[in-house]
Amino acid sequence: MSSDLNLKTIIGLEIHVQLTKLKTKLFCATSADYRGGKPNTHVCPVCLGLPGTLPVVNRKAIEYAIAVAKALNCEISDKIMFVRKHYFYPDLPKNYQISQYIGPGFESIAKNGYVKISVDGKSKIVRIRRINVEEDPGRIVYIGSIEKSPYSLIDYNRSGVALLEIVTEPDIESPKEARAFLEKLMAILEYLGVTDPGLEGAFRVDANISFEGFGRVEVKNIGSIKDVEKALNYEIIRQKRIILQGGKIERETRHWDADKGITISLRSKEFEEDYRYFPDPDLPPLKISKEFIEKIISSLPELPDERIRRFLKQYGLDEYRATVLVLNKWLADFFEEAAKIYGNYKKLADLLITDFLRWINEYNIDYRKLKVKPEHVVKILKLWDDGVLSVKMVKEILPHVVRDGIDVEEYIKVHGYIRIVDKNYIQEVVAEVFDENPKAVQDAIENPKAINYLIGLVMKKTGGKADPQITREIVLEMLNKKRDTGS
Amino acid sequence: MTAVDKVSVDIVKHLEKLTLIRFTEEEREKIEKEVRKVMELFNEIMKVEGLDNIEPLYHVVEIELPLRDDEVLDKIDENHEFLKDNAILEKDYVKAPKTVGA
Amino acid sequence: MKLGKPVNIPVYKLVHEFRSDPSKVFEYIDSVYEVIKKVEDKIKSFITITPIETVYNYVDNLIKSNKHRIDRLKLFGVPIAIKDNISTKGIRTTCASKMLENYVPPYNATVIEKIMNEGGVIIGKTNMDEFAMGSTTETSAFYPTKNPWDLTKVPGGSSGGSATAIASGEAPLALGSDTGGSIRNPASFCGVYGLKPTYGLVSRYGLIAYASSMDQIGPMARNVTDLAMLLNVIAGYDPRDSTSVPIKQGVDYVDELYKLYYKEPKLRIGIIKEFFDGSEEPVRKAALKAVDVLCSHHKCSDISLPFPRQIIASYYIIAMAEASSNLARFDGVRYGIKINLDNKSWDEAFAEVRTRGFGYEVKKRIAVGAYILSAGYRDMYYIRALKFRRLLKEKFDQIFKSFDVVVSPTMPILPPKLGEFFEDPIRIYLADVNTVVANLIGSPAISIPIDFYNGLPIGLQAIAKQFSEPILLYIAKQLEDRTGFKDIIASV
Repeated sequence: MSSDLNLKTIIGLEIHVQLTKLKTKLFCATSADYRGGKPNTHVCPVCLGLPGTLPVVNRKAIEYAIAVAKALNCEISDKIMFVRKHYFYPDLPKNYQISQYIGPGFESIAKNGYVKISVDGKSKIVRIRRINVEEDPGRIVYIGSIEKSPYSLIDYNRSGVALLEIVTEPDIESPKEARAFLEKLMAILEYLGVTDPGLEGAFRVDANISFEGFGRVEVKNIGSIKDVEKALNYEIIRQKRIILQGGKIERETRHWDADKGITISLRSKEFEEDYRYFPDPDLPPLKISKEFIEKIISSLPELPDERIRRFLKQYGLDEYRATVLVLNKWLADFFEEAAKIYGNYKKLADLLITDFLRWINEYNIDYRKLKVKPEHVVKILKLWDDGVLSVKMVKEILPHVVRDGIDVEEYIKVHGYIRIVDKNYIQEVVAEVFDENPKAVQDAIENPKAINYLIGLVMKKTGGKADPQITREIVLEMLNKKRDTGS
Repeated sequence: MTAVDKVSVDIVKHLEKLTLIRFTEEEREKIEKEVRKVMELFNEIMKVEGLDNIEPLYHVVEIELPLRDDEVLDKIDENHEFLKDNAILEKDYVKAPKTVGA
Repeated sequence: MKLGKPVNIPVYKLVHEFRSDPSKVFEYIDSVYEVIKKVEDKIKSFITITPIETVYNYVDNLIKSNKHRIDRLKLFGVPIAIKDNISTKGIRTTCASKMLENYVPPYNATVIEKIMNEGGVIIGKTNMDEFAMGSTTETSAFYPTKNPWDLTKVPGGSSGGSATAIASGEAPLALGSDTGGSIRNPASFCGVYGLKPTYGLVSRYGLIAYASSMDQIGPMARNVTDLAMLLNVIAGYDPRDSTSVPIKQGVDYVDELYKLYYKEPKLRIGIIKEFFDGSEEPVRKAALKAVDVLCSHHKCSDISLPFPRQIIASYYIIAMAEASSNLARFDGVRYGIKINLDNKSWDEAFAEVRTRGFGYEVKKRIAVGAYILSAGYRDMYYIRALKFRRLLKEKFDQIFKSFDVVVSPTMPILPPKLGEFFEDPIRIYLADVNTVVANLIGSPAISIPIDFYNGLPIGLQAIAKQFSEPILLYIAKQLEDRTGFKDIIASV
């Protein structure tokens, strides 16, 4: 038997995403903008679950959920219905969560949708099983280590913040696909303006992973897209090893330890979860009219897929470049600003999605606090086009521009980044190189491919400042002369 | 098999776990007996015919769910007015039992 | 002029006296507190009594800050007793449970805000069955309340303390809550008027929930006009309660009552045969006598309501299921009894709090409620009960096409002896059959005192279609004229 297992990987994701663009919580008029606030100050009797309090639904949360449902190609229910999901936990004020549920007599706000993703040039569909609107629990913290602390501490600021729970079908077949799906999903949510994916804790994923024919493992509470990919890769290796050793994959829930980069088994439950769902008697159902849905749909912004299509048409980009730009909304915005004053869209796109993006990530720059402006990048491109800057210089200068948003021309002056375009000077250097390397010259006369070596020598002599185009022309010209004279 | 026949001390123990309530051994016997009687009473609704095609009535006054505008009405509770009399506060946090390791 | 025998004066007259001379409020409060001093030890209506100095200060402020509006305050200076499951900011609200023995709500229920805005004065929080689970006020974790007409008998429940406070003269008005008869049952046993409004007419915000789909707060009083006055204050849409009904703003129930009272329209009254047949003989006789009074003016005929045991079953299924959910929040973290948490896992700690905090009946109902909601049984019991609920509602929709009101004895029995009911827990449930109907169908229902038997009061219940409170007040007022049950106080 081959040691390389060729088993199909089955992955399904359950994504919890906060609707961070809401001003208030889901069921009370308390500020949901709690980040950075003192613990337990963004609270009211309702989100603390005080006895006697009752929920009142935030209209905008419903509108956002419907917008998301539409963007994820879901069937939107004609009825909003909330249920209580019962389980005890210290962060859950009422010891039940107001959520939604699909079953006989029960409905989620939306179901049966899909998201199109593209991985390694192949596109595929990931189906969405359902979307629920629900409330976030509070946050548990420990002073000191979890193990040693004799008790826990709760901050209810997060309690009651509106969440969407988005559940996929098990259509995902690799960690890479999982990442592609999540990137697409988060881009869609960002384009809709319902959430800011950059905010800490705004996004949590539970991932189900199994090999066909083996037990399913759930990895809970993963906090970023990168970590989802890492956790899934870890699980694949872990589960494969067990299978190869002839072991059994236990159906269990595991926790992702992002610091250690491993998954850990959680204490197994004493008995099967029994959430005892039933319709929340505090919240009568709401029939959603076609007009209500139409109004939301008609004001939807341009979504990633539409924008990609537009980029193909308007800027003549290929699907890959367009996708990379569009899935980074801010970068696509940056591109479109720059494209207003620069016409070589492909060159612009290339610079943005390669070196530019790399440096943004390298310097860990928050895109909301960018110093570099589209005109800075366009200036570089234009100097490059004019032959004032070489590729090498562009690569050298770009990080400074990205980080500090400096004026390129100033920078060139100060740092002496002048490109040599003087033909006479280059001719002299080429002559020198020819004199010093007769063998290489002879090779180049016989085999045109060998001229790059000579060009390289010229560049070396000029410290990379000679214009490569001009250099090439002169080298070719002088080689032709030599061939003609036969000397 | 109806829920009545299943009522046993084990079911009572299961319900204790589900509701986080503990009964003493004596209470368990009493509660088992009483739960069985209650369930017998509940089984009376099995005798009503023709319920299958009826929609359950969740809300007796059939009104529509009102929706609220997304406007902040509540003040920031800077001094923990909603918690200070009834919770144990430690450094602005509410003290609670631990979730792991006990 | 001194108020004569002040505790007997009806509230609608008191308010006039108080408006013309605000100092009379203090006089009246003194007389009320004198009664409390005299009878409270024997009856135990209250869990918490507002200290009289606090009340004085409150009234002082009330007079000062409302100088120019006193004439507009509907309850100016009127002392009111509040059932202890209605949240009062700064006043301990226990639900008669160890769990909340020291719980002080940081907010007011909507009905409390409304009463205070109309100049009402909260003089205390009344005893009840723990979390309103009971029909005798004996499941209170603190002490039972006694019937002021006979101290060996229960006052009914769960709003027993509210009923006894009024019946004994400790307060002229009270609020109760009614999930399956908890206002009407003690009103009947104590010889006072009690109204369960249409579901959604009075805000539940701040009422500590027992069974959310049936709970309603309602008024209790010694005469029908006072009952209507208190209903006027507490009824109305509340944006904090999503089940509150956004209609009938500004209905004046006193006006509506008197419009009908003077016009004397003939009503079609249905007599629920099974509920008369199922009652003890003295109760049945008294109720039939009251029916005769009504039938001398209105058009009466018998109606039949089958499935009495199924009505009880579906009521208790729904109530216990919802209760098990509503009472999950009591874990001792944000409120409730405190234990040493150190090095206890959360489930251990929660179980300790809940085991110590809840009484036996509450624990039992939570357990049964969880059982019938659990996987496999939800559809068999809970959903089936809700289907039956619709059947019953539709049955009554039909009945209310031909009848304006249906009547029955409020309780099929006379007030039992203290402790008697504990011997057979199912019997106590079955005694609720007449009252739970109104909660299942969301209708308003009133208990009207009609007679005594061996010194124990008997009540007649009237149920009308949703939002027909004026009709119930109208027939109550007609009976009040004939029975003489008006501003009567039990001498303890």
